[in-house]
Amino acid sequence: MKKAFQRSVFDFLVKNGIKNFTGVPDSTLNHFISYGLSKKKIIISTREEEAIGIAVGMTLSKSSSLVFMQNAGFANSLSTITSLVQLYKIPIIFLIGWRGFLKNDAPEHYKIGKIQPDLIKALQLPTKIISDKNWEKNCSWAIKKIRNNQPCALVIKREFYD
Amino acid sequence: MIRKEAMQVVLDEIKNEPIISANGYISRDLFELKEKNTNFYMIGSMGLASSIGLGVAIKKPQKRIFIFDGDGNILMNLGSLTTIGTLKPKNLVHVIFDNNSHESTGGQPTNSNKIQISELAKISNYHVFVATKKFQLKSILKQLKKIPGPIMIVIKIKNSQKHSHRVSLDPPIIKNRFMKALLEKN
Repeated sequence: MKKAFQRSVFDFLVKNGIKNFTGVPDSTLNHFISYGLSKKKIIISTREEEAIGIAVGMTLSKSSSLVFMQNAGFANSLSTITSLVQLYKIPIIFLIGWRGFLKNDAPEHYKIGKIQPDLIKALQLPTKIISDKNWEKNCSWAIKKIRNNQPCALVIKREFYD
Repeated sequence: MIRKEAMQVVLDEIKNEPIISANGYISRDLFELKEKNTNFYMIGSMGLASSIGLGVAIKKPQKRIFIFDGDGNILMNLGSLTTIGTLKPKNLVHVIFDNNSHESTGGQPTNSNKIQISELAKISNYHVFVATKKFQLKSILKQLKKIPGPIMIVIKIKNSQKHSHRVSLDPPIIKNRFMKALLEKN
């Protein structure tokens, strides 16, 4: 189910004009990223901020881009999001795997996972959580956002264990 | 050479080719020397000029893309050398104005005289040049068009006494006019 859902999200975004997918791998988003790699549409970066830089360069070239990352990497990127993406009003979609959502996830994910909603709120970055039930509606929302020149985020919860 | 002198020599070789300039005095100097729609002044997000330049270079293969970077800037994003060296955009020219310091924040030292950025770029598949004098820089620039990128030119410079003013354009305006300029043929 999880696999089919993440593949459908990828196909939907491609169909709706997202041309570039770059970021740092995350296990929650594994099926999305592996599927994109098999289609040769993914650039794996060394850090999340590097991925944002690449996506910004591509977006400046009128080629729509998505950046994927884990929520820990999202926290790494706060300053870049404010001083590049939001400051210049660059429309890119962030796809974030949210660890620490389950209370007994690995200890390194607990605190940063807990404050993830607060971080998003503080940034005032429009965000929707997507699941196998609502993904089509919320992905359409994200496409609409970037067409209106606004960056936004889609979050997938970590609702399973390794 | 100080940065402004070195930058002027490079600018003499650039016509309407896009430039992505790093934050701090690099963007300020560019703004004072040659203000143009094809300049993307990255006023924040230190370290990312090379990554933005990579994104543009991949999507605009028919244009030569210049990145004006500093030693402090590239040291914050060394991973980008490996990404650029893996994707090997032929049209990417990465210029490092290396003063071995964070001049914009008061001249604190970087490690660029102990670990050579040129050597890091070499093992990352760049064609690398190093210049310390104007005549060397000029002769390197004359060869550029014959060599496939990614190219790096490390220019060893001295710190300046006088500093350029801030970039006085609104960031969304910098973006919009840069995007428009990218649509034009060279």
